[in-house]
Amino acid sequence: MLCSLMKSEKELKQQFHQIIEAHKGILFKVARTYCYDDEDRQDLIQEMMIQIWKSLHKYDGSFAITTWLYRISLNVAISFYRKNAQRQKNSIPLIREHHSVHEEVGSEKQEQLEQLEQFISELSNLDKAVMLLYLEDKSHIEVSEIMNLSVSNVGTKISRIKEKLKKKFSLLNSK
Amino acid sequence: MNDIELKSLWKSYHEKVEQSLSINKQNADDISKMKVHSLLSSMKPIKIFTLIVGILWSVPLTFILINIFIHSYNEVSLFFLYSASIQVLLTIIATAVYIYQLDLIYKIDFSTPVITMQEKLSKLKISTLWVARILFLQLPVWTTFYLTKNTIMEGDTLHLIAQGIITFLFSFVAIWLFVNINYKNRNKKWFQFIFSGKEWNPLLQSMELLHQIEAYKIENQKTIL
Repeated sequence: MLCSLMKSEKELKQQFHQIIEAHKGILFKVARTYCYDDEDRQDLIQEMMIQIWKSLHKYDGSFAITTWLYRISLNVAISFYRKNAQRQKNSIPLIREHHSVHEEVGSEKQEQLEQLEQFISELSNLDKAVMLLYLEDKSHIEVSEIMNLSVSNVGTKISRIKEKLKKKFSLLNSK
Repeated sequence: MNDIELKSLWKSYHEKVEQSLSINKQNADDISKMKVHSLLSSMKPIKIFTLIVGILWSVPLTFILINIFIHSYNEVSLFFLYSASIQVLLTIIATAVYIYQLDLIYKIDFSTPVITMQEKLSKLKISTLWVARILFLQLPVWTTFYLTKNTIMEGDTLHLIAQGIITFLFSFVAIWLFVNINYKNRNKKWFQFIFSGKEWNPLLQSMELLHQIEAYKIENQKTIL
């Protein structure tokens, strides 16, 4: 009995490592969408990983692992009210970006990217989630599963956000 | 900028970032060992302090009051005994409600869909308003605990009228606050004055988020119909 429990613990740990390694980009992108300070972002990623670890035994594969990961990481990011609070004492860096990618993107794209990030930062927490999932090319069905919205409402929301975005870009380009 | 350009802009950046990400395996391993990430360790020091003060205040006083009820009921002022009992009882209820709600918040399942989970979490956080409501109910007993039989029987009329007005006003304010401290009144000035400290920010943010969720749900229902 103890042996089988230990084995499942070992398996869980292995599964945890595999999930994090394969989908670290999801965690990073969600954290970057909701948190603009590098050090706060490390705290946020740590919190996401804690929640993933705590929920892992409940994951039954009834929906895609990415749906499950988006739910957890978005829920943690939206609930992360410690922006200006004292940093956690046991904060440990988990995911590192090795070099500045900004330099590689090119100055024109860089400017557009900054405009896009600026636009996303001005959205409400829920709209941010919808926008992120849209940019990540998630289908309306997947977005509805992650958010618990009707598929048609997902379409309406995305159209509205895109409309705002187009206006913003055309306003900036006309200046 | 069309859909394709927008998504390609997003991807061009994030694909490069994703390639450059690396996991600190040792630290990730530490996460899986963090079983002791308990309710207590997730709480802010101010909340732990509030709970300790609540418990340190209620537990000894409960023992003292029970002792008085059993052994010296006829020797003490009944105004003091019942005022103190009501105060301690309300503090115990508020502390218990606070612990229960914190425990529910801690146990919330983060893998449920975003709107469902955020609605539940916001409602739970907002329900901590119950603690404030219960604690405000104590107000009138702070105006009666010092009274004695003699002050009532032999006190001058003016003093008794003043005492009656003060107790009535405190009772009125306590009941009014008990009834009116709720989510619907979050934008009222008096509400924002009471809950203006930094410590109340998560509560106010929860209210704002719940407001957004309600708007989302209304739209959702419209699209279903």
